[in-house]
Parts: sequence; C-alpha cells; structure tokens
Amino acid sequence: MRRTALLLLVPALAVNLLVFLWPMLNLAALSFRDALPGGGIGTVLSLGTWRDLLADGYYWSLLLNSVVVSLIITLAALFCGYPIALFVHRAPARWRNLLMVACIAPLLVSAVVRTYGWLVILGDRGLLPSLLRALGWVRPPRLVFNEIGVVVALTEILMPYMILSLLAGFGRLNPVLEEAAASLGARPFTVFRRIVLPLSVPGILLGCLLAFVLAVSSFITPSLLGGGRVPLLATEIYDQAIVSLNWPVAAALSVIVLAVFGVALTLYGRLSRAEA
Amino acid sequence: MTPTRRRLLAAPLALPLAAPFIRRAVAARSITFAAYSGIFQENYEPAVVEAFRRAHPDIEVTYYPIANSAQALGLVRAQKAAPQIDVVMMDVSVAKTGTDEGLFEPLPKGSLPVLDELTPKAFIEGVAGPAVLFDNYVLLYSPPQVKPAPTSWKALWDPAYDGKIAVQAAPDIVGIALTLIANKVFGGGDYHQSVAAGIDAIAQMAPRVLTWDPKPDAYTFLIDGTAALGVGWNARGQTYARQSQGKLGVAIPDEGSLFQINTINLVKGSRETDAAKAFISYALGTAAQKAFTERMFYGPVNTKAEISPEALARTAATPERLSRMLDVDWIAISKMRDAITDQWRRKILRAR
Repeated sequence: MRRTALLLLVPALAVNLLVFLWPMLNLAALSFRDALPGGGIGTVLSLGTWRDLLADGYYWSLLLNSVVVSLIITLAALFCGYPIALFVHRAPARWRNLLMVACIAPLLVSAVVRTYGWLVILGDRGLLPSLLRALGWVRPPRLVFNEIGVVVALTEILMPYMILSLLAGFGRLNPVLEEAAASLGARPFTVFRRIVLPLSVPGILLGCLLAFVLAVSSFITPSLLGGGRVPLLATEIYDQAIVSLNWPVAAALSVIVLAVFGVALTLYGRLSRAEA
Repeated sequence: MTPTRRRLLAAPLALPLAAPFIRRAVAARSITFAAYSGIFQENYEPAVVEAFRRAHPDIEVTYYPIANSAQALGLVRAQKAAPQIDVVMMDVSVAKTGTDEGLFEPLPKGSLPVLDELTPKAFIEGVAGPAVLFDNYVLLYSPPQVKPAPTSWKALWDPAYDGKIAVQAAPDIVGIALTLIANKVFGGGDYHQSVAAGIDAIAQMAPRVLTWDPKPDAYTFLIDGTAALGVGWNARGQTYARQSQGKLGVAIPDEGSLFQINTINLVKGSRETDAAKAFISYALGTAAQKAFTERMFYGPVNTKAEISPEALARTAATPERLSRMLDVDWIAISKMRDAITDQWRRKILRAR
C-alpha cells in the first residue's frame, strides 16, 4: 500500500525534476560563468560574476529597494484588504459568495490591463491629478513613473490574493468569543485588538507571504509604472537578460530572488509555529 | 479501393486539411527567417519576403518575429545543436557576439555576387553577416505641442518641456545613443576617451523627464499626447508619423545624428544553406532595398538601388546629412555599454 502511494508520487516528482529543478540548477550554474563584453558567456566555471555582484553597492541597493518596496506594498494590501475580508467573513451566508466573487473578480482581468487602468487614473492628464488641479492644486505631485505609482497599482493588484488568504485564515474567528468579550465590558476596539486580531494571525501571515512573494517577483507593473526610476530585482533581471545580454548576472540575480523567497518562507514557517 | 459514398464525401473534406502540407511539398525547400516584429514585420513581409516568395516559388520562407536582437541571439544560442532558424536579422553589436560564439557562417565580400554592390560600410570587421539596413537616430516631437519644429537636440533641455519628455534609458541602445549625441552636442570630444560631458548633460535634463521607460514605446507617448519630445529611430518614426495624422513629427537636428546598423546573418548548421543564401542575396539586392527604403525609410546598403528622391529625403542618406553624422563604432560601444549604463544608474536615473 505504502509502495503504491510512493509510486503515485513518481509522475509529479518527475515533472518537477524535469521542468523546475533541472532548469533551476542550470540557471544557478550559469551564474558561475563570466560575462564577456558584448553579451558573451565564458566557458569555464568562475566566481567572477558573484564577486563583482556582491562588491557592487548598486546591487545591494537594488535588493534593499526591492525588499522595502515589496514590504510597503504587502502592508498596504493588508491594511486595505483586512477590513474588506472581515466584512465578507461576517456577511450573511447568502451574500458572502457574491461578495467573494466581487473581491476575486479583478483577477479575471490581466494585470497589464489593470496597470494601464492606473495609468489612466494617475497619469499627468488622468482623473486624480485633474481633480487635484480642479481643487486648486496648481502643480500636483507626479503619481506615476515613480515609486508612488508602483505601490498604488501593485497594492490593488495583490489585494485579491490578500483577501482570499485572510478569508482562509479566519476559520478560528468565532462570534461567540467576541460577544463574550463585549459582555464582560470590552469596548469594540479592545475586542478587535484582544480577540479578532490574534485569531486572524494565520490568515495575516499567509496573505503577507503571498503578497510579498508576488510583489518581489512582479515585473509588468513596475516596468509600466516605474518609468525606469524604480530599480527592482525583477526589472533588473529583464534588463540584464534581454537588453544587456548579461545572462550570468541575470542568473545570479534570479538566484538572489530565490534566496529572498527562501528567507520569506522560513520566516513564515517560524512565525506560524510560534503563533500556533 | 472501391469508391464508396463515404470515401467520396471524405475526399473533399480531407483536401483543405492536407493543403498546408501539399504547399510545403511544392515548395521543395523551406527556410525560417527571424527578424523584428510589429511595424517592421508589417512592412518587411510584403515588401521583401512576399516578393522573394514570388521570385522563388520553390523556396518557402517562414517569417519568425522577434522582439529584439537579444531575443534572436538567445534563440540561435539555444538551437545551436539543431538550428531551426536559417537567417537572422539583428543589430550589429549583438551580431558580433553571435559571431564570436561561432553561431553564424561568415559571408565575406566575394562569397555572394550581390556583396560587390554594397557600400564598404556594410562590411563590419568581426561580424559574420553584412549590413542590410541602416537606420538613424532622430528627435521625435509632437507638432501640436512643439512649435516650430525643433532643429537642435538642445530642445530636450528646454525647461518649457518639463514633464513632457519620454526617453528609453540605457542599457537600451536608444539611451546609449543619446549619451553619444549629448556628448557631441555639449562638447565632450572623442567618445572613446570619455562620455562624461554627455552623462552630465543628461543628468541636468533628468528631473524634467516624464519617463525613462516609455511603454510600449516613445512613439506612442508622443502620438497620444502624453509627451511632447522624445528620441527614437528614423524608420519607425517616419512610418508612425505618416500614420499619425500630424500627431508625431520626426526631426534630424542640425548637429547631426548617428547610424544604427542591422545585419543579416546565415546561421551555422542551417539545413538549407543555398536557399538561405538566395534569400540573403535577395534582401541585399536592388529590388528589395528600393522597395523597403521607399516603404519604411531605412537607409539602403546597396549602392545600385535607385531610391526615389522623396524617400531618400526622409532618410539620413543625403550628402549634406551624411557629412554631419557621428561615426559610431558599435563594436567598441558594446564594450563600453556596461560602464555607460553604470553612469546612467548613478547620475541620471536617481535625479529627481
């Protein structure tokens, strides 16, 4: 029986080995080649690419910028998504499914289309700057082609994932506990702080992990709304691989992104265990 | 085989399904040609590839669209053991990398009769294939917003266009070319020695730039009125300008410009070398060079191609413009590219 169960795993394992692990190992191996001028790739194994990368402050600032921007987006998605998720969770059963569909519906539209939507809203001649000008602000701040545009658009794009994760983690929330706290004299904010929030930690952790990982790896939105002024790991990998033809550096940066994911997953595991 | 009612019905139904293969059987030889996608393909396919198909019905050509030269190099690299692409068009500096990696068959002068008709500038040392099309760097402007039409690159430094400039930053070739132009315009001297003057000038302009990464491209930003000034390439600029109904203008400023070179290369290991060479010869021949220059305003490499004066006036290939062109060694630039990009990151893209 046990042997049969192991045999059933073989197809999935084989597919993963072939289409995930093997290319990943190849990618890692590529980072141990030297980049030759004009886009060539050295033939011998070398630590040169990694040495140059780690010695260059620009790549450290890129890593820091990617992590900070992704954390800001994750927190923004959490703050915007949490009240919506709680509202959906507490909605009467007959409305809940409809509200959930409404929350997930943006995922049916491509991220490219939604990003262009934000360009229409936040662009210099867009809805929001026009409104600000109409209200008397002569030179409103630029809202696109900088960090603001990227954070706003990615927060909106990642919110459905955050809401779904929060809803999945709200399983332990029990209205009886809230009523008990209230009957013992706790004010609504205290009920939220002492009862609701601690019980929703699993959902918060899951949503934050998902939003952070997706934010670090997102390329289209920073590329369309960053205006070349928001250097992130994903956009740099594209530039190095496609424009500069520096495949070894692109491969090394991809390995760094994987390492960031690894750190995020480890943190998630530890926090989840501590919370449990 | 007895003719039954079912078989009689099946025959006409099977015929359309088999048609593509029947056509392939007629075209005894088949080659794949990789070149730029989008507006380039829309124009090159009817002007050159279709004409070649008509002239050589025994050779089937499949146009494989690529986003840029780097993608083409990646494909040819990946297919090194069993090439699926026979002929590839790409930028000269990327072609040099491919040549160094042994991906292309050298086509030196004398290897094809048509090569004798090409300008000497079509043969670049260290690159396997000859140049097939020249393009030149231009200042793009929005005629409704920029009056009169700009005549100097210095229009990009005019404070009147604050937040209205769209430029693709380095490492893209558009940003690298702007560095060289700015270096020339602001008295930087020989770019082989230093491009510091160009970098400093662009850093001054940087806070007024709307975006360093216009998507899909700078032409679109100008046509939809988001930007008033930009930089780009003549052929695409002229083609979009013609379609834009006065929303996009193309200027070759008085200080001059620079050429970009597209090469055509025969992939090593192609199973249809003769057919591929026939296609390359056709693309370099007078008929194709004339047809495509008059359609999309790339500079021709074939000196015997008789281009109409109207089309020639829209390229940089006129004697007075040629005299003002900055002679750029793109092979040398490809070695400086990382250093220039580094300067962009530190001094230009951070300026707010």
